[in-house]
Amino acid sequence: MTDQEIWIYAEKHVGIIQPVTYQLITKAKEIADDKKVVVILFEATDKNLENNIMEYGPDEIIVVKDDRLKDATDSEIANLMAELTKRRQPNSILFGATVVGRSIAPRLQAKLGTGLTSDCLNLAFDDDFLIQTKPSYGDNIMCEIICPDHRPQMASVRPNTFAAKKISNTTTIVTEVNDLMFKEAERVKIIEETPLLSKSDSIANADRVIALGRGASDDKVISLAEELARKLGAKIGVTRPLTDHSKFSGEDQIGQSGNTVTPKLLINVGIHGAVQYTTGIEKSELIISINKDPKAPIFKYSDFSYVGDSKDFLEGFLKVIQ
Amino acid sequence: MSLKIVVCIKQVPVSNNLKIDPITKNLIRSGEQGIMNPYDKNAIEAALRLKDEWGGEIILLSMGPQDFEITLREGLAMGCDGAVLLSSRQFGGADTLATGYVLSQAIKKIGNVDLVLFGRQSVDADTSQVGPIVSEFLNWPQVTFVSELHSHSGKTITATRLLENMQQKIEFQLPAVITVRREMNEPRYPTPRNIQQSYKKDIQVWDENNLSVDPDRIGVKGSPTIVRSVWAPEKEAKSTKYLNGSADEAIRELLIELNANNLL
Amino acid sequence: MSIELTQPQVMLHQMVTDFADKKVKPIDMLIDKERDFPEELWKDIVNTGFLGLSLPEEYGGAGFDAIASSQTIYDLAVRNASIAFTLEGHYKTVDQVLKYATPELKEKYLPQATHRIFGFSSTEPQGGSNVMGHTANAVKEGDKWVLNGNKTMITNGGLAEVYCVLLKTSPNELSCFLVDEDMPGFKHGKREEFIGMNGTPVGEIFLENVMVSEDHLLGKIGQGVEIGDNAHYDARILMGAIAAGITEHALTIAVNYAKQREAIDTPIIQLHSIQTKITEIAIAKENVQLLYQEAAKLKVAGKSYAKVATMAKSYGGRASVTAADHALQVLGGYGYSREYPVEHLIRDARALQIAEGSLEKMMIEISKEVVNEREE
Repeated sequence: MTDQEIWIYAEKHVGIIQPVTYQLITKAKEIADDKKVVVILFEATDKNLENNIMEYGPDEIIVVKDDRLKDATDSEIANLMAELTKRRQPNSILFGATVVGRSIAPRLQAKLGTGLTSDCLNLAFDDDFLIQTKPSYGDNIMCEIICPDHRPQMASVRPNTFAAKKISNTTTIVTEVNDLMFKEAERVKIIEETPLLSKSDSIANADRVIALGRGASDDKVISLAEELARKLGAKIGVTRPLTDHSKFSGEDQIGQSGNTVTPKLLINVGIHGAVQYTTGIEKSELIISINKDPKAPIFKYSDFSYVGDSKDFLEGFLKVIQ
Repeated sequence: MSLKIVVCIKQVPVSNNLKIDPITKNLIRSGEQGIMNPYDKNAIEAALRLKDEWGGEIILLSMGPQDFEITLREGLAMGCDGAVLLSSRQFGGADTLATGYVLSQAIKKIGNVDLVLFGRQSVDADTSQVGPIVSEFLNWPQVTFVSELHSHSGKTITATRLLENMQQKIEFQLPAVITVRREMNEPRYPTPRNIQQSYKKDIQVWDENNLSVDPDRIGVKGSPTIVRSVWAPEKEAKSTKYLNGSADEAIRELLIELNANNLL
Repeated sequence: MSIELTQPQVMLHQMVTDFADKKVKPIDMLIDKERDFPEELWKDIVNTGFLGLSLPEEYGGAGFDAIASSQTIYDLAVRNASIAFTLEGHYKTVDQVLKYATPELKEKYLPQATHRIFGFSSTEPQGGSNVMGHTANAVKEGDKWVLNGNKTMITNGGLAEVYCVLLKTSPNELSCFLVDEDMPGFKHGKREEFIGMNGTPVGEIFLENVMVSEDHLLGKIGQGVEIGDNAHYDARILMGAIAAGITEHALTIAVNYAKQREAIDTPIIQLHSIQTKITEIAIAKENVQLLYQEAAKLKVAGKSYAKVATMAKSYGGRASVTAADHALQVLGGYGYSREYPVEHLIRDARALQIAEGSLEKMMIEISKEVVNEREE
């Protein structure tokens, strides 16, 4: 039997490797035992993203270079992945539970006829079994899932669940594979890619976040929060009800089916604290919450709590930091 | 031109606040009736708008127990034309792979389908896998997490797909599979008239005998994944410090703490 | 709840609840303040098919019965009484066209009831229900009727486009005619400056030599009083539902506030005096609901429902004002404030003792009925 391999699909947007890829490398190395951590990178011929990936110290990077990979579709990538998988028979394949990961992985799963667990919050090995911990029912339930009789074992992992660590003095091997058959997808092509300078990415990576909930849906409160955000250099995030507000969208949402945030400072304004929301903020360092309802569950997740009016609080805050 | 559209929908629990039986460790399912997965309403709305524009027929497809009928009727009441329920003991216990397989075989049986729509994910299992699995089994193009659709003449469609920090414009030809984001539209309400009429329509119920399916690929047998255990995560309460007094007093107290932690 | 809903009724109830939570509840106070329904809401109401709720399917409606329509009115009234009041005015008018119009007139007008509001008009400036005081009239000329006069206090007056109008056809008899705002000689008048139900316009119309063909007469000549009474009975089931809705709204506000508001570190819900008020509101709501649901059941069963419908409205009209007043008291200063939704509940509820037959008129009707029952 060959060395067992844990594969990680390197996700890139507009030429930048996504943080989740690095997070997965670090986690995979932590749980690998004697398995090899291998990153699969598809890139255009003028790119050398393997150099960035190397900093996180995977054992190997398999690089496929082809200019058609600049804007390859889900099925094209799934085809290439399937071919590679057949050649090297990895033990597991990991994806970020991003839009791309959640689109390619199931397509590949169907090609390979194996199991896939989406949106995992933890991974571990029990011998050769990948133990996949996945939330369900809006994060109210956790399930431990295994795929005993099929290989590879596939999982996608929610971004920002694990921390990425750079490694110095890495011994990463880069293997270029250039004899894969690129089967061009028929009837579908990506005609344009535009970076969204907004918001969701910046909330997920922001150091300071002011989050607004149903109790802060008043226009006055929103504009106060925006002013405070400008002053603090914070980003505004919202709970699901506020995504219906004309100023916000699903991209600004924090929590289940929204973004996971990891700021140093999080201020929750008018947020009651349903589990669907609080799973998205657990990794924040310091949490301050303002709510009218003294029994709001949000206070259980907060370092500092203030029971009272959001408007008064924001006005007071602005006054003090003028 | 007219379109034959299949919308795959799922019934989910009314509330996600499920409890675990402390002894059996099984989910305690309340006797409450389920509701339609909210994202599936966006998929139905997208289908209805395409039908308004191009004409055609919308067939709802779901796999589950008989009581999923209520959700299919709701879809009919939104304005869909027909409904198929894939229901059989043999289909039970299916994971995403087995589910996607049975759905794709049903779509083949329905025949001449131009477009299959899904909601982006279900709010109970949250997998978002079934759409891509079905498109792989049908060998059709897939466009996932779509926030906008523009149909051109013929069977060419342009979609906007929203990723975390970029958007893509994707052009594709039918037949294809699309999964729909909530941003795409505001689903219409079932009208009272359509509600009445939805109860006069027949829902076709198919089991493994009505479909050409490999018995090894359905239900528990066709499901590679196993749920080893389920539990309710315990959230450790932080020891929160309550800020007292007026808003101004509270903020003064807070600022001292924030400054102490170098957070301002 | 004393009624069993059928499956389509359950789905309707869920749809209406979702709709009302999303589209109506957030703008309850706005509707009161702006004295109008936002155009967006109105468009949604029409497009979602609310106007054709009880209209038979052959005319493009949904054909729901009185149990379903009263449930719908209740579900809306819990979020905003005025939108329910406007639909009530429409439904009861459509019911009369359905019951009394010729097949040709029904064919022509009922399909329009899915997108045009219908209104019922009986009151005149000089007299309420007293026929002798009325002056608006209809005179037969050849095979046409010529209609003249001024009518006031019409629920949805100005918003409605089609009216059933009670007109004198001889000194001692009233007849009912269907009039379209598009007819030459038809004019809308001013809107009343009412204190509540602010989304719903109540206004007047002027008829100046409006010519209608013979089939615009509803029922027979002289049947106007009966049609007017019948419209009242149909309306009163729905008015009972509005009363129950307002009472439920008051109950929710009072309970939520009392749970949250503390006096000396204890939520005021634990105070006996507050519990008493909340209990009173809850009992009232249950009673009103049982009454209008009973009336709806009688109507669906084809039995006489006038008495119970009138009880639902007369009891509900008073109980809902008292309930809203209790809620106001629970909220104290906030209850008395225009920035909280309680005060407008009182103003809205107050209409229920006046519209569709005054409290006094209803009392007479109920007592007559009760006495008659005992003489038989």
